[in-house]
Order: sequence, then C-alpha cells, then structure tokens
Amino acid sequence: MLKYLFKRNEDIPPGTAAVFFGFSSIMWFVIGTGLGSFNAAKLAFPDFVTGTELFSFGHMRQVHVLAVIFGWISMAFAMAMMYITPALGNTKLWSEKLGVWNCFLWNIGLSLGLTLLWFGISSGREYSDFPWFIDLYIAAFIALPMAFNVWMTIITRRTQGIYTTNWFFGAGVFMVTIVFIVGNSPEWFNLTGLSEAYMTWWFAHNVLGLWITPIAAAIAYYTVPKVTGNPLYSHRIGHLHFWSVVVFYSTPAAHHLMSAPLPEWLKSFASVEGVLILVPAIAFVSNLLLTMTGKWHMFVENVEIKFTITGVMMAIPLNMQGGFQQTRAINWYVHGTGWIVAHAHLALLGFSTFLEGAAVYYGLQTLLRRKLYSLALANFHFWFLLIGFSIYWISMTIAGLIQGAGKIYEVPYIDVVIAEHPYMIARWIGGTMVFTGNVVWLYNMYMTAKAGTEIPEGRLPHELAYER
Amino acid sequence: MAFREYKIGARLFGVALGGSMLITLYMPTVDMTSVAVTETGLTKQLSYGRIGGFSYEDPFLRGEGKPKTVTLTKDPSTNADMEAVQAFVYEPGIPFPSGINHPRTLGPGVTEVSLDKGRIGEADDTAGAVFLIRRGTHQGETLHYIENATATRGWKYDQVLNAGGDANTAYVGSGKIMFVREGCWWCHTLLPEQTQDWQYFGIPPRLGDYNGESPTAFGSDRKAPDLLHVGSRNSSKEWMMMHFFNPRLVQPHSIMPRYDYLWGDKDAEGKAIDFDGWRAAYNDYAAGETLTPPDVPSYASNSEIRYLMDFILSLK
Amino acid sequence: MAWKFDKPLYSLADDSQNDAATHVWEGESLGGISEDNNRLPRPVIMLLGLTIVTAFLITFPLWGARPNAEIYAEYVQMMDSPAVQAISGDEAKMEYLVSNVKDTSLKSFQERHPLTMDDLRMIKDQVIELQGQGADLGEYSVIGAKVVLANFEGNLITDPVTGKTRPQAKQPWWDKGYTIDVFYVLYFCIAVLIVIKRLPHYSWKPDHSIAH
Repeated sequence: MLKYLFKRNEDIPPGTAAVFFGFSSIMWFVIGTGLGSFNAAKLAFPDFVTGTELFSFGHMRQVHVLAVIFGWISMAFAMAMMYITPALGNTKLWSEKLGVWNCFLWNIGLSLGLTLLWFGISSGREYSDFPWFIDLYIAAFIALPMAFNVWMTIITRRTQGIYTTNWFFGAGVFMVTIVFIVGNSPEWFNLTGLSEAYMTWWFAHNVLGLWITPIAAAIAYYTVPKVTGNPLYSHRIGHLHFWSVVVFYSTPAAHHLMSAPLPEWLKSFASVEGVLILVPAIAFVSNLLLTMTGKWHMFVENVEIKFTITGVMMAIPLNMQGGFQQTRAINWYVHGTGWIVAHAHLALLGFSTFLEGAAVYYGLQTLLRRKLYSLALANFHFWFLLIGFSIYWISMTIAGLIQGAGKIYEVPYIDVVIAEHPYMIARWIGGTMVFTGNVVWLYNMYMTAKAGTEIPEGRLPHELAYER
Repeated sequence: MAFREYKIGARLFGVALGGSMLITLYMPTVDMTSVAVTETGLTKQLSYGRIGGFSYEDPFLRGEGKPKTVTLTKDPSTNADMEAVQAFVYEPGIPFPSGINHPRTLGPGVTEVSLDKGRIGEADDTAGAVFLIRRGTHQGETLHYIENATATRGWKYDQVLNAGGDANTAYVGSGKIMFVREGCWWCHTLLPEQTQDWQYFGIPPRLGDYNGESPTAFGSDRKAPDLLHVGSRNSSKEWMMMHFFNPRLVQPHSIMPRYDYLWGDKDAEGKAIDFDGWRAAYNDYAAGETLTPPDVPSYASNSEIRYLMDFILSLK
Repeated sequence: MAWKFDKPLYSLADDSQNDAATHVWEGESLGGISEDNNRLPRPVIMLLGLTIVTAFLITFPLWGARPNAEIYAEYVQMMDSPAVQAISGDEAKMEYLVSNVKDTSLKSFQERHPLTMDDLRMIKDQVIELQGQGADLGEYSVIGAKVVLANFEGNLITDPVTGKTRPQAKQPWWDKGYTIDVFYVLYFCIAVLIVIKRLPHYSWKPDHSIAH
C-alpha cells in the first residue's frame, strides 16, 4: 500500500483502494471477532486472564465493539463503495489516490483510537467512546474523504442514471457524516445532562439506521442482480425503500432510552416510528427475494448469493425484533438484557456481515481478476459464521429472557447470573466459531491474491466457480 | 419529481432529513433544557466536576483535576459546631462544572437564586472555591440552589479540607473517572427502569437529576445489579473492599472481574503488596486446602480503589 | 415538468414525459445491471398498511405499563373490613384480599407485585390521605414504605392537590408525539405516492435487450 501513497493518480491501478480496503476489513474482522471471543470467555469464566488492568473486561469490551463497527463493517462498506460506485457509473473511481490515502489514514486512526480506548481513555459515551480529537480525526480523514470520493465518482459518472445502490451510497455517506458530527458535538461543546445522553443514543441509533442498515442493503441491491444476471425486480420498491429509510429510520433514537426520564411525547413518537422501520425492511426483503426469481439454485451453488440471501433473510427476524422490542409493551421486559445483545449481533454479525462478506468476496475476485482460491474454504467460512452466530444468538436470547423474567419477578440478581452461566459458555463457543471462520477467510483471500486462477477477460468470477 | 430527476430528489432528501432532525433533536432539546435541576442533579455535578471522561485536566483518566466532597460538622472559619453539611471543594486550578460556568443550564429559578443569593458568579477557579447546596425559594417555589461559600461565608478551600480531614473527605469525582475508565458501566447500569426496577434497585431518576452531568454513563447492557442507589443498599466499606479485590470472596457465583490492580503497589502503611503471594494463598483456599481466604490488603488513601469506593458509596 | 391530474392513481406524468423516461430506462446499462418496473405486490401493500396500523396500536400503554399505587387501593379499602379482621394470621388475610378483589383489570399487576400485610400497613395511611385529597393514585409509585409521585414527563396537567401545572406522571394514551407521528406518516405516504406515480405506469415492462 505504501508504495502507492506518493504515486501519481494515473499510475495507480484502478481498484487498488478497494483491494486495500477489502483486506484491511478482513483483518479488522479477525481482530474484532478475536476480541469478542476473548471477552465472551471472560464472561463465562471470570478468572480467565484476571487481575491485569489492560486485559480486564471493562477495558476490552468497547475495543471489540468499535473494531467491528469502524474496522470491519465500515471498511467493508468503503471497499464496496470504492468498486461498486464507479462500476455502476461506467467510470473509474474519481481519485484512486484519495482512496488509498483514505484507507491508510483509516487504519492509522482506528489503531490509535482503539489503543486509547484499550487504555481506558474514553469519553464515557457508548458507541461514541472515542475522545473528541479522535472524533475530529474520523470526521476529517475517514468520513469526509470517503464521502467526497463517492460523491465525485457519482457526479463524474458516464451514465445519465444513478442506480439504486448509488442513491444509498451517496446519501449514506452524507448522512453518516452529519450524524457523526452532530452526534459527537456534546464532546466538542461540553453539552451535559440528559441532552447529552439523548444525543449519545441519537448517534448510536442513526449510525445503525442511516449507515449500517442502508449501505448493507445497497450492497445487496448490487450483488443480487449482478451475480444472478436478473434485472432488479422493481425500481418503484427501491424508491419506497430509500425514502422510508431516510424518513423512518432517522427518527426513533429515543426508543433506546424508553426507561429513562425523557419527555413522554418523545418516547411515544419514537416508538411509533420504531415500528415503522418495518416499512423499509419489507420493501428491501421483498424486492431482493423477488429479484431471485428463477435463480434460486444459486442460493446453494454460488457463495456470494449464499451470503447475500442469508443476510437478506436475516433482515426479517432482525426488523421484527427491532420494530417491536422497542415499544412500551415489550421494552419493559427485554430492555438492558441479553436479548438486546443478541439483537445487536443479529444486525451486525447476521444481517450486515453476510451482505458485506459477499461484497468483499465478489469485489476482491473481480478486482484481482483471480478466482477464489478455495470454494470449500469459503463454504467452511459461511457455515462457521452461520452456525457460530446462531449459537450466539439463541443463547443470548434465552439469557435475555431469563434476565427479563428475573427483572420483573424481582429475583435476587445473583440467581440470574447463575442461571445465565451455561448460556455464557454457549455464547463463547459461538463467538469462537465465528473467529475461527474468519481466520480461514483471511487465509483464503490471501491465497486467492497469491495463487488464485486468473480470470480471463470478459468473464465474471462466479461463472468460473465450478471450472478447473 | 419524475424518473431520474435528481435535483428535486436531492432537495426532497434535504427536507426529509432536516424535518427528522427538527423533531428528534431540536424539539426534545427545548423541553429537556427547560427543566430545573434537582438536589440530586446539583450534588452530582458539584461532586463530579466538569467532565467525567477524557478532558484536558485529566487526559489519562487518572482522576486528576476533580473536586473533593467534604462532610463538615464544624464551621471551618469559626470552628463552631453546626449541622452536618456536604461541601464541594475546588482547589485552585480545578475546573468548575457546567452549572457554575454556565448557570443557565441549572434551569429556571435555580439559575436566578444561585446567582443572586448563592453568588456563584463570583467564583474563580484560579483561586479555588467551596460550594454548598442550599434550600431556598423562588417565586413561591421551593428549590435547591448552589451557594458559593467562599463568597458568602469566606470559607477557603484549604480551611475546609483541614476542617474535614481525610476521614471525612470523599474523592467522588475521581471515583466517577475510575467508574468510566474501568468500564464498570458495561455491566452495571446507573438507570433503574421506570417500569419494573423500583422495588429492587430504588426509585428511577427524574428529568432534572442530570443537568450538568457528563457523561451520564447509564449503561445499556445490564449483566449485574443497577448501582444508582447502591450506597443506600450497602454502605459497608469492608464488604466493598473484599468485593473489589476479588468478588468471589463475598459472592462465589459473581462473574465480576477482580479489581485488585486498583490498589496500586503499596498498601496503607506504604508496604509493597504481594499480589503473587495473595493469589497463591487464595488459590489454596479456593482449592479447599485452607479454611480461610487471605486478608485483603489495606489501601493507600490516594489509591484508585479509594476513589472508586468513594464514588460507589456516594450513590445514595 | 408536466403534471397530469386526470387519473392520479394511474399516473401523474404526461405521455411525452413517460416516453422520455422509458427511452432512458431501456437505453442504458448501469454497470451491467438493469431494473424492472414491477408494481408493489398487493400482499406487500397490505403488509405496509398493517404495519402502520400496528405501529400506533402497539405503542399505546396496554401492556408494560408501570405498576402504581392504584393496584393496592382496593386492598387498602378492604383491609379493615370486619371480614378481614376476623381472619387470624397475616398471610391468610393477604390471601383473602388477593382473592376478593373486585376490579379484575389490575389483577396481573397485583400478581406480579405481591406485598405482605406489613407492607400494606405502611402505605395504608398515605394511600387514604392521597385519596382524600382527590389525587389520581395512578400517578403514584410505591417505593418500599413510601408512596411517591412517579416520574413520568407526560402531558402538562393541573395537579389536583396543589393546583399547580406539572407534567402528568402517567403513560399517556395520546400526546403530541402521536400527533406528530400521524402527520409524519401522512406526509411520507403522499410524498412516496407522488414519486412513484410520476414514473411510467407499472404495466409498462422495460425491454432489457436494448442496452445489454
């Protein structure tokens, strides 16, 4: 990567930025899930690596969370944007050099920020834990350069139209920048009290709603038609999806604080809007599944489609949970329990990871012009992710229901801890399976770059999957 | 807007996002900032100091640059007996909390009384100051306000610290930093829920309980008891000490990590703490080879565990 | 930008506009991807309608409402009656109270939040006093031995005891949050309807062989 930093833009091969982003994201995924597995072990066995400040749970939990959000998920998004945006405009990335620098500064900044968090240097605000100078760095060197590159690529496109994926990309990078800057403003202006707490959750909610969910969906809008060769089922449903994300997903922030003393009208408002996130979800799932018409055999045969459709289908339980668990009727039972932890992993490790995984698989093969090194290892990766995640999700959901019952029937807390213990062990096993799968993935992609069969001009990688 | 009319689409997008932000950011902020701070809210911001996360005065989150909470039973200037009060002592250079720097954030009524009667506008952080919480009235409403005792009673910060002595001084603000740095709030929430928690974890907080506090560290993922009122449930320092050093000493099924490293290197007498020896002895006890666990070492008066315990016990 | 309003649910764009749109639609390949012009499937439309209705219905405080002093009011009213006095033993008394409650609407709360006769004696006077002042017991929480005003930041009301204006300490059935929601959803539906009806009608299927 370093050798391209000071080259002229024209001398950098197209796709370089995307390849760097792709490998960085896999690397961060390995690190992030490794930390997750380590943390889960500590919850199951509290005296595992004990008595040192740096390896205590409280120092490592947020490093896991932000490593997967900023490292894996967001970098995989950046990777997808760097190759899908130009592809959909029949053009090249506006500036490959900016992309390479973006990737370089992203890795540096994230490593620095996570190291500080690891040492406990935090703003004390969940999901916006980074101290304010790291926030500034992220806005200036991570979010804005990426946004600028995407916008300029869309503006300099060589088509009249902008495909649905690129609406989401262009709007998503705008929204995440606004959300990031506004959401972190309490630290820059020292806002305090409940307004600060609310802003913290406004950020945390919107970074999911206006960045992670729509961008992951946008990737599926590309992958499914591209790989199956079917046209997108409906341009009109794309409209419904896009506008309902902007309108409904940006409003329910207060539902994260349903049990806090916020004004009640805000909770009423947020709660109704929270159920309405099912509108974009229904639009998205129906559009993508109907696009699959006639190509369902690829769900079994093709690794990208397998990942994508699994992710799309996970959007159904994800949004059913997300829509209803935040209402007053249900939130009192599950708030603050493992149920929510399971839900968060369904969103990030289930739904969005599977969609991005497909984009990274497909993108790296296309850009490197090399066939996947081993389809068997890719399937191994898929099943380890899926089974590991399912164990995690089921065990945490059960643990959450136990906690909820304990809360309502006022059971002494220690009895809840004892009852949860087996599920904590199951969670650790599931997390470790995910981590193992990712290590295999990193190896597979490294070997693809090194020793994958070259893809001849004019062919697409998935067409060659079963050829020798 | 028709097929591929991106200009109108972009404007519509701006209206949609702007409308959403108007409803979800502007409107609630108007409501939340127009609430008068309660006594709890005043106690919290005066004892925590300016900010509880990363800050200029405390970049490495060691609990520096924070006020001290002193319980006084004698008037520090006249030495006469008086009813016990809590004084919040800001030594020179310790930054003031939001309510002193921006009295408007205290909310209607409290701002006026704190400025007129409490004279908080005269406080100067380069010279140090002592604050008290008093009860007063504003337009017939009873409320609590901040009194700048350095201006109204001539109490100097060092007088108050001397009058209180180490035994009556609590490092609550520094302890809040420990709470944030050590990630206690990843498992212990500070937010009894409105619907169910009230009998077990105490009364849920009110809207005015938070003015001036930053961060609120509610926590979202409760893997352990709520701590907002823990000081009312359990005020035993001995229990806390054992629980922090190794939670399994008092609660065999606890999954809390050990916080023995917060003791630092030396105990209260300045002797080096033998952690390895302690762990070996504890392992023997855990394996059933000895009948009693080893004694938990005492902690130095400026150790991080002292800060953290002062904070936890202040959560009434 | 021409508009046509004669058949608004069919199309809002005129023929020349639709011709231009279909021309670009078929004439270019966006990175090798094409789009169809299918309508929203009818079951999906029904699902969306159901979602909007459900969104409002499920957020009303039907379940998960907070327990309040009202659930013990009938116990307090009955506890000094001769029938209860005649029973010996606190546990038997409490059992009698629980099984003889007339207002069954609070039954599930009473089951989830049981209390002993001693608890009841501690809150008895406070409950009677509040009732005497005309307070709404639904606004009060029982915290241990105390009956205190709950901390909800609801609609502004006049306190029946002090006569002052304060937020109602109860989950609201309707407040400005719901009102905003109604208009918000309405605007969304209108805007999306316009956007979609300005596209060529769904009966037109693009021919993907032209650009590909």
